[in-house]
Amino acid sequence: MKRLLCALVLLVACAGCEPHFLANTPIQQERPAVNVPKADRQSNWLGNQREGSCVHASMISLLRWQGRYRTADYWRRTYGNGEWPEHMAATLDREKIRYAHVTNGDVKFLEWACKTRRGAGITVMGGAHMVCLVHLDAKWAGLLDNNRVERIIWVPRETLIAEWKASYGWAVTPIYTPAAPLPQ
Amino acid sequence: MNKLILSVLCAVALCAAVVPCFADTVNGVLAEERVVNLPNDSGKWYISVVGNANDARYNEIVGWFSTNPNLKKLKDQVHFCQVTTDTAIYKERYAGNVKGLPTVRMQKADGRVVYEAAGKNIPMTAAGLNGALANGVYSAEGIRPVLPWRREMERRCPGPGPCPTPQPQPQPQPDPEPQPIDDNGPPNIDEPAVESAVQWAWLPALCVLGFLGGLAGAYGRQLYEKLHPPVK
Repeated sequence: MKRLLCALVLLVACAGCEPHFLANTPIQQERPAVNVPKADRQSNWLGNQREGSCVHASMISLLRWQGRYRTADYWRRTYGNGEWPEHMAATLDREKIRYAHVTNGDVKFLEWACKTRRGAGITVMGGAHMVCLVHLDAKWAGLLDNNRVERIIWVPRETLIAEWKASYGWAVTPIYTPAAPLPQ
Repeated sequence: MNKLILSVLCAVALCAAVVPCFADTVNGVLAEERVVNLPNDSGKWYISVVGNANDARYNEIVGWFSTNPNLKKLKDQVHFCQVTTDTAIYKERYAGNVKGLPTVRMQKADGRVVYEAAGKNIPMTAAGLNGALANGVYSAEGIRPVLPWRREMERRCPGPGPCPTPQPQPQPQPDPEPQPIDDNGPPNIDEPAVESAVQWAWLPALCVLGFLGGLAGAYGRQLYEKLHPPVK
């Protein structure tokens, strides 16, 4: 009788148990959040006016990350040389590219761009250069420089924000579908 | 004179109110407007269809997301990623973690896989794939029941119908139509139409059974009282 009682108590105790171990598996966030494959990272090139094309290179890398391969190829064939915000916006409008940009150094834009895994081209070096911001968390920022596309450059968040704000605070990104995260 | 002074003062006051607006405009209203309108879609789920661009089966499955109304609706609620094997994205990110080709994979925003099927394990029809994806959503969200919804779906589509024909795409493939911009999080699948556990056709029979049961009970009680008279 005692054995039966023990078995019953055990059964009742186990009945409420749910295997939570799967749900509690920690999620490993990908770093950088915008992990553009090496083959899709567009290197900077000299345009026909002997100017660097860092803005276009940044846009092309982001277009590829967001699945717009044909648009990226077209952009590489069609555009080049230096850019400034108004002209770039007009070009993107003319090409009917879905995009967002800021020229006022609003950090919320950078946070949005990385939170939605789209990334953004941001100005650095006093506005003379544009790189891709591919990660931004509470401590660190990840940069993909089109002059050295082999590796991601990690800088403290505050340092990056100070650099960006001192470089006219221009950021621009296409708005399409980012590549799916790695399966967890 | 007083009127003149009053007019000048009014004009100055008006300018003081208006000038800051222009200043804002100069400082980038266009940018501000875009910030406000940015899609807050970081919680959106992902559906990836991975395969060879020249594979008819892959193209058929991708086509379902444009031809089947339920899959089309689902596609509009998630980040829909077409990944072909000739891309660097596939080679670097997905080649090592798909079980076969083509693959259909549904993930939460944090990457957790909610549904995945590859090769012959992918349902044969668009409706079947929609059902499988819906099951994935229900399981992940803890929504039940699933089966009545599927029964209802099969009732509506009883027989084998014309299969959507694969749309062969000329090479190079153009970029897909951009998805709508919205603030959606997880996909919102229609609540399943819950069928009653009891079929209506059985109702008269159940009534008769209930009536007979009641009669038998009453008769039995009388019989019991007759056999066991109360002790007074």
